Amino acid sequence: MAEEPDLENLPQAVVAPKKRLRVSIVWIIPILAALIAAGIAIQRIRSEGPSITISFKAAQGIEAGKTFIKYKDVRIGLVTAVELSEDYSKVVVKAKIAKHAAGLMVDDAKFWVVEPRITLSGVSGLNTLLSGNYIGFHAGVSDEDRRDFVGLDEPPPITDQRGKQFVLKSNSLGSLGVGAPVYYRRIPVGQVIAYNLNAGGKSVEIVVFVEAPYDNFVTNESRFWSASGIDVTVGADGVDVHTESVTALLAGGLAFATPDFVAAGVHPAAENSEFTLYRNRATAMKQPDPVERRFVLYFNESVRGLSVGAPVTLYGLRVGEVAEVGLSLEPQRLIFRPRVLITFFPDRLVGLMSQRAQATTGKAITEIPEKDRLRTLRRIVEERGLRAQLKTGNYLTGELYVAFEYFPDAPKPKLDWNQEPLELPVVPGGLANLEAKLNSILGKIDNMPLNAIASDVKDAIATLNQTLKDADVLVGRVDAQWVPEGTKTLQELRKAISTADRTLNNADAAFLSKDSPAPQDLRDTLQEVTRAARAIRIFVDYLQRHPDALIRGKTEGKP
Amino acid sequence: MTGVALTAAQAGLVSCEACQLLARPANPEEPGYCRRCGEKLEFRRHASIQITWALIIAAAVCYIPANVLPVLNTTQLGTTEADTILGGVAFLYTSGSWPLALIVLIASVMIPLGKLVALAYLLITVQKGSVKNNHDRTRLYRMVEFIGRWSMLDVFVDTFTVALVQLQPLMSVAPGTGVLFFAAVVVLTMLAAESFDPRLIWDSATPTPVPNG
Repeated sequence: MAEEPDLENLPQAVVAPKKRLRVSIVWIIPILAALIAAGIAIQRIRSEGPSITISFKAAQGIEAGKTFIKYKDVRIGLVTAVELSEDYSKVVVKAKIAKHAAGLMVDDAKFWVVEPRITLSGVSGLNTLLSGNYIGFHAGVSDEDRRDFVGLDEPPPITDQRGKQFVLKSNSLGSLGVGAPVYYRRIPVGQVIAYNLNAGGKSVEIVVFVEAPYDNFVTNESRFWSASGIDVTVGADGVDVHTESVTALLAGGLAFATPDFVAAGVHPAAENSEFTLYRNRATAMKQPDPVERRFVLYFNESVRGLSVGAPVTLYGLRVGEVAEVGLSLEPQRLIFRPRVLITFFPDRLVGLMSQRAQATTGKAITEIPEKDRLRTLRRIVEERGLRAQLKTGNYLTGELYVAFEYFPDAPKPKLDWNQEPLELPVVPGGLANLEAKLNSILGKIDNMPLNAIASDVKDAIATLNQTLKDADVLVGRVDAQWVPEGTKTLQELRKAISTADRTLNNADAAFLSKDSPAPQDLRDTLQEVTRAARAIRIFVDYLQRHPDALIRGKTEGKP
Repeated sequence: MTGVALTAAQAGLVSCEACQLLARPANPEEPGYCRRCGEKLEFRRHASIQITWALIIAAAVCYIPANVLPVLNTTQLGTTEADTILGGVAFLYTSGSWPLALIVLIASVMIPLGKLVALAYLLITVQKGSVKNNHDRTRLYRMVEFIGRWSMLDVFVDTFTVALVQLQPLMSVAPGTGVLFFAAVVVLTMLAAESFDPRLIWDSATPTPVPNG
C-alpha cells in the first residue's frame, strides 16, 4: 500500500433506494429454533412419566437403558439405573415409567424379572432369549400411588386372569411345584401358584388358582387329590395304575372333582376356601361313611400282608376296612396274638342291598337300638356262625384281607359281649387253613403201617407171579393140544359149508329155472289149493246160513 | 504488521466482496452495486453482527436437543435402542476404543461447541471494540470457516448407516430427531461464520468509525 490510489478514475457506484431494517429478519431463525426446541422439550416433559425404584434380590440381565418394564407385552417403562442398595444387600433398579402408565404405579403393583423359564410344564419367557430379560409388571387395584416397590423373586403365575384361589392342606408337597397344572376332568383349568409350610411346619399349604369359567366347578364338596406322576396302588384289589396326563406324569399336578354321591347343598366354593389334598383319587372320592362300627379280631396266624386300609368283605363285598394291625398279649397264657381292629360301615352294607325293600330292611337293622343290635349280632355269630377269616387277596403280593362268611358248623365261641370294641370270632382261613389240612394229611400218612403194607404187597406180588406162571403153562397146553384139533374142525366145517352151498345152488336151479318142471307143478298145485279153499269158503258160508244143512242136507230151491 | 494500515473503508472506498474490485461508493450511506460483477457493495457486511448473533443463538439452541435427543434408533431383534451422540461416545469409551471415542467427541461435540464459542467470542470482542489479538482472532475466524465444511461428518455417517443397515427384521437403523438438530447446528454455524465479517476485527484498530449494520 505504498503507492497512492488513483481515486478519480475509480467508477462511481450506483445509488439504490435505501432499505433500513433495525432488526434483521435473520432473528427469525433463532426464534424458530428456540420454538422447535422448546416444543420438543415441552413434549418430552409432558410425556415424561414418573420415576420409580424397585428393589430386587438379584437383577439378572437387567441393564440400565436397555431393560424395559412390560405390562401385557407393552413397554411401560425403561430401566434408567441399576444400583446396589445402601447396605449392599439388594439391587435397586430405577426406572422411568411412561406417562400413559403412570396411573398403574399403585401400592399393590408387582414387579418381577422375566427370564426364560423352561420347566416340564412348559417354556415361558422364550421371547426374552432374543430381547433379553425384562421386568414384568402386574397392575394392582389400590388407589394409592407409590414410587418405590419391592420386586418379586418369582413371577406371579397368574397375572390378570379371572378366577379363584383355593388353599389345599397336605402332609407333603409331593412332586408338585409352582406352575403345576390343576385338572378338572383332565382339562387343565388352573395351576399351583404358591406353597408354603404352615406355622408349625407340620403341613403344607398349597395355593392353587382355578381360571374363571372353571372356578365354579370347585364346590364346597369338591375333593382335591394329587395327580402327580403315576399313582400305582398295590393292594388286595390288585395293581391300580392311574395318571392324569403326561404333563402331570412328568411335572406333577392336581385334580379335583365333586363326588357324585354329594347331591344336596352343593354351591361354588368361596375364594380362598380350604380343602384337604388327598393322596389319590380313590381316597379323595371315597364316600364318607357316617356310621362306623369297630370290631376287634384276634387271629392265631400270621397277619403278614394285612395292611391298614385292607378291605373287610362279606361274601366278597366290601363292607369295611382294616383300621389297625397290632399285637396283644394274653396275660394268662402269655402268648402274643395279632390283634386286628376293623371298621365296619353299616351304610355300605345297606347300599349293597339291591332291592328297595331290602334296603329299608337294612336301614332298619342299622338303626335299631344298641341293645337289640348286640342281640342280633350275637345271634348271627352264635347261631348262624358268622366268622372272620384271613384270605389272600393277591397271591403275587401276598396281600391279605379279612373276609366274613358263615360257617354254620363252627363251634360256638365264648366271647365277652360287653367289651368295646366287640370281639368277633375267627376261623383259620386261607393259607393257614390249607396248612392245617395239609398237616393232618401228612399225619395220617405218618400213621399208616407202611412196613406191613410193604410186606403184604411183596407176598401178593409173589402169588401173582405164581399165578402168571400157571397161566403160562395153561396157555402152552392150549397151544399144543387144542390148536391142531381146532384146525381140523375148521377144515371140516369149511367142507360142510361148501356142500350146503352146492345143495342150495341145485335147489335154486330146480325151482327157479324157467324150463324146470318143478315150478310148473308147484303153480298147478297152488291153483288146486286155491280152488279147494274157495270151495271150503262156500261151504262154510252155506253152513253159516243154514246150519241145519248138516243134519238135513242141502235143500234145493227155496231154503 | 504493526503499523496502522489504511483500510478501504477508512479511505472512503468499498471493495466488492465477489470480485474484489475496489470501488468508490455511490454515497457513504449506500455504496451501491459493483460495476464489474453487479454484486451489492457494502463497506461491511450488512448487519453482520446482528445476523451472526442470531445464527449463533439459533445454533446454540439447536445444540441442546442435538445432544439430548437420539441421533440413531437401532432396532435389533425387536429391541429398539436410541443412541445420542454422547451416549455413543460413552459406549465407545467403555467398550475400549477410546481413540474412536475421542474422535467422535472432538468432531461431534467439541467442534460445534468450539465454533459457537469462537464466533461468540469474535462477536463480543468486535462489539466491545477490542484491539487486542487481532491476528489471532482472524486466525480463529479462518479456522472456524475452514472447519465448518467438515462438521457434517456425523450427519454423513448417520445417513449412511441408516441407508445401509436395513436388515429387517433382524436389525434396522432409523435416524433420530437429534440428527436434524445436529445438522441445523452445523448449517447455522456455517452460515454464522459466513455472515461474520472478519474485516470488523480490524475496524476497531482504526480510529475512524466505520458505518456498519
